[in-house]
Amino acid sequence: MTAPSHRLRFLAGLVLAGGLAAWLAHGFASDARRRVAADGEVRRAVVALRAVTSLVESSGGEGDGARRAVVAWQAGAPGVVQLRVARGMQLEASSAAGDAGGQAAPRRLAREEKPLYDRAQRIATAVRTNREEQGGRKDEVEVERLPSGGLSLAAPLDLDGAPVGIVELETAPLPPAPSTPWWPFLLAVLVPAAAFGLVMLLAGQRRAVLAVAATFLLAASLFVLSRGTVARIGEERRQAAASVAERVREQASLVRSASVSLGLPASAADPAGWDVDPFRRPRGEVASDGSVVETRREAAVEEEVRHLGRSLLAAALLALALLLLIGLGAFHRLGRTIKVNRQAYVYIAPALLGMMVLVFYPFTYGITLSFTDSNIYNTQKPLADLWVGLRNYGDILGDFAFAKKVEGGFVFNYLNFYWTLLFNVFWTVTNVTIGVTSGLLLALVLNTRALALRPVYRVLLILPWAMPNYITALIWKGMFHQQFGIINQLFQMVGLQAVNWFDHPFTSFLAALTTNAWLSFPFMMVVSLGALQSIPADLYEAARVDGASRWQAFRAITLPSLRPALVPAVILSVVWTFNMFNIIYLVTAGDPGGSTEILITQAYKFAFERYRYGYAAAYSVVIFGILLVYGVFQNRYSKATEA
Amino acid sequence: MQSRLDRLFAVLLALAVLAGAPLPASAETEVLVWHAYRAAEKAAIEKVAAAYSASHPGVKVTTLAVPYDAFADKISAAVPRGKGPDVFIYAQDRLGGWIEAGNTVEPVDFFLDKPTRDRFIPSTLDAVTYKGTVYGLPVNYKVITLIYNKKLVTTPPRTSTELVATAKKLTDKAAGRFGLAYWYSDYYYHAALQNAFGGRVFEKGTAKPVLNAPENVKGLDLLVKWIDEGILPAEPSTALITALFNQGKAAMIFTGPWFLGEIAPEIDYGLAQLPTLAEAGNAPMRPWMTVEGAYIAAPSKNKDVAYDFVKYLTDRDGARIMALEGRQSPSNKAIYDDPKVAADPVLKAFRTQVEVAVPMPNLAEMTMVWSPATIMMASVAKRSTPPKAAADKAQAEVLKSLSELRRK
Repeated sequence: MTAPSHRLRFLAGLVLAGGLAAWLAHGFASDARRRVAADGEVRRAVVALRAVTSLVESSGGEGDGARRAVVAWQAGAPGVVQLRVARGMQLEASSAAGDAGGQAAPRRLAREEKPLYDRAQRIATAVRTNREEQGGRKDEVEVERLPSGGLSLAAPLDLDGAPVGIVELETAPLPPAPSTPWWPFLLAVLVPAAAFGLVMLLAGQRRAVLAVAATFLLAASLFVLSRGTVARIGEERRQAAASVAERVREQASLVRSASVSLGLPASAADPAGWDVDPFRRPRGEVASDGSVVETRREAAVEEEVRHLGRSLLAAALLALALLLLIGLGAFHRLGRTIKVNRQAYVYIAPALLGMMVLVFYPFTYGITLSFTDSNIYNTQKPLADLWVGLRNYGDILGDFAFAKKVEGGFVFNYLNFYWTLLFNVFWTVTNVTIGVTSGLLLALVLNTRALALRPVYRVLLILPWAMPNYITALIWKGMFHQQFGIINQLFQMVGLQAVNWFDHPFTSFLAALTTNAWLSFPFMMVVSLGALQSIPADLYEAARVDGASRWQAFRAITLPSLRPALVPAVILSVVWTFNMFNIIYLVTAGDPGGSTEILITQAYKFAFERYRYGYAAAYSVVIFGILLVYGVFQNRYSKATEA
Repeated sequence: MQSRLDRLFAVLLALAVLAGAPLPASAETEVLVWHAYRAAEKAAIEKVAAAYSASHPGVKVTTLAVPYDAFADKISAAVPRGKGPDVFIYAQDRLGGWIEAGNTVEPVDFFLDKPTRDRFIPSTLDAVTYKGTVYGLPVNYKVITLIYNKKLVTTPPRTSTELVATAKKLTDKAAGRFGLAYWYSDYYYHAALQNAFGGRVFEKGTAKPVLNAPENVKGLDLLVKWIDEGILPAEPSTALITALFNQGKAAMIFTGPWFLGEIAPEIDYGLAQLPTLAEAGNAPMRPWMTVEGAYIAAPSKNKDVAYDFVKYLTDRDGARIMALEGRQSPSNKAIYDDPKVAADPVLKAFRTQVEVAVPMPNLAEMTMVWSPATIMMASVAKRSTPPKAAADKAQAEVLKSLSELRRK
């Protein structure tokens, strides 16, 4: 095989990685441009809507006054297709083409106008909800894109501070979204490629020099590209702010002149309050006189640009990684192994595909979810809008307040992660200890050769394992019932007090522990029994000849021979017990007060009782992390997988 | 499925044209209804659907029974993606969650005219009203009432004083006999006491939780008093109550229609209204009611027809079938004048009880109340925490989980 050319490899890497980065960057840039343009259009339309709403409100919000206000306003507002004012089942005013003659407002809403009525109800509810929660959760100003390309907007009509209806406005089709030219992005690939051509001539096949040069050229080119893009988008955002301010000025003078011609008192509405977000909170970018508030605008530009900058940085890092992977030959090697072991890859392909769909996709989704604030209120929104970064992890891991000192002792906060973790570890250690000890003991007994009816015992002892564990759990829960459970009845028979098992964390824990011990010993027994039977009898014979006691033989022969079988079994059983959802959920249900919750049941409760999906996902990722660390650690120190 | 049917239809249509056959006047509109019924209820709704299809040419109502456990999740997953039914029937407690999630339940406020509004027992319509907008038509209600063993109790108690006196007489703890048994450690069952005092989970018309309102604490205080009288079994659960009642060891129980099927055939039982509470100024116990509403799926393409069917289902003819054959308690109040329905002691008992019942909150926030409320009830029932402290703790917890959920 000929030696691969480092030069060509780096050149190919540079072109491919550069191309990828340029393609991604173009995508991000044109998204940002479209968003800035669309936001600007929406804001301008919202200003118009709010202006006419204030005019309708000052005209009394109903009757001929409102209709005259609509007509007067629309005469001076080009680009508006129709305007409707609805209150309850009544259409108060409308400039829609069909609403003339017999259909003219005021009239009752027709069947096909149900969406208008529903919209009014929805907006009124949104206003009340936001007010009650003193925040912004539901849109008070609704914006929808129409199939025609225009916008349909609706805002509440307030009288005396209460929403009584809505004003709905439909705009003419918006101008097409600006397209982003390709040439700067192409240049960002071609220029470093050409420069690298020069380097190639000078540096020959020196790999380190080539790597540094290629990386530097690509990084520099992408840096320049993103600086330019960011500056451009920032400039467009400033222009959008200026055009919104212009719209505010236009509307202010329109409302003024319409008020005069209609004989209305000068509107008390402040034009600065027309440029609002969906929750009707002024954005503050435009002042009352229609001028731009520079500090607020720059903050908004900053926000817009930071978002874009981050995406571009990610694209650049991806490209650099790709460049090095190709340049240093990793891809080449991968290609070669695929070629050499073609058959093997074909065989695992179906399994790999299955894993992708059934394991990796949900797994990635869960991890992504853990970085969001997804909950019952916002399942409709895309995850990107709910991004909160590491907040969930901070909330889980950063809360150390698991105990509070009060008079005469401590009060534990059972919802705290560290309490649950502590309990979870304690639960696992005790369970596995009991399981291994009892399983091993029973295996030793069953291994006695002279034992009569040995197969019968064996079957009986495996039965607990063969039963579905939720049935076992429910039966045990019944047996622990305070009044009617058999355990308390036995207690009372021998003169003891009945115990209220699920009333105290410790007794509740004992109940769960007993149930799980019942479930876990058969597995350990079966594993140990198999291993015991494979120990050659002559070892014991030799020991006996050497005069070893039974205990010595057990320590020196039995235990070491059991090790290869027992250690993986213990590892498995630790993982199972750590996540033993059924027993905890069904037997103690966390009683009392969530004190016997383990991590996995706690995560379940966060997801399906408190409806905080993102938080629960983060919880699950933490559990995964703990088990991963445990698994790696355990493997390394026991060398179990090699045995 | 739909597209395959469409394609089949198109092929048939083309064949018909080729053969010169006359075209059908109009395509049949299909309305798919999902319900979680079994046995008699399933047969009843199928009968209503068939009756509607028969009397409305061009419309075909198909019903599909979906297992109850999976029902709500299936609705949440399928409907917003435009895959589910046109109409679905479910209890009102999930309504708020579906509305908050969006694109699931179509508001029907607009369709509701006065005669339709007036046909229902008012509180059942309130149950399917979310923040001022009606989202479905109430089909039936379920409510807790007093069920007693006629062998042990001749006249059911009408006041709490009589209740305690009768129960005390019939209690023999050593023999495991109790005068009164109900799942008092469950918030749903307990609510009847709390509501009698004017208690509530949310401040009226808002989603502001008030679990520790003074009235709620009074309800808990009364429960503690009853426990201390020794008339109630410890650690109650539905399984325990069923066993006690069927063995004749519980004289009176508070439970709902779902229990009737569990009663052993040899037990002769009667139904009566829950007693009034002397402690609450002789106000009646006011149980929570759960109302099954028929909702129209927001993405449905046949909303008008779907609403028409739902209207039919809750009208006299539909309600009559659901009552007499499905053994439901319809929300339609006119049906109780029907001689056959009026003669039914069970339906009559629930109809009387529902007069004082309160719709269980349908707010999405209610899901966050259950867990703290359960802990509150457990600690009060076991006498480990005084009522006021337990209620304060539950309130604090609900507020905390709400603020975490609403945090920006």
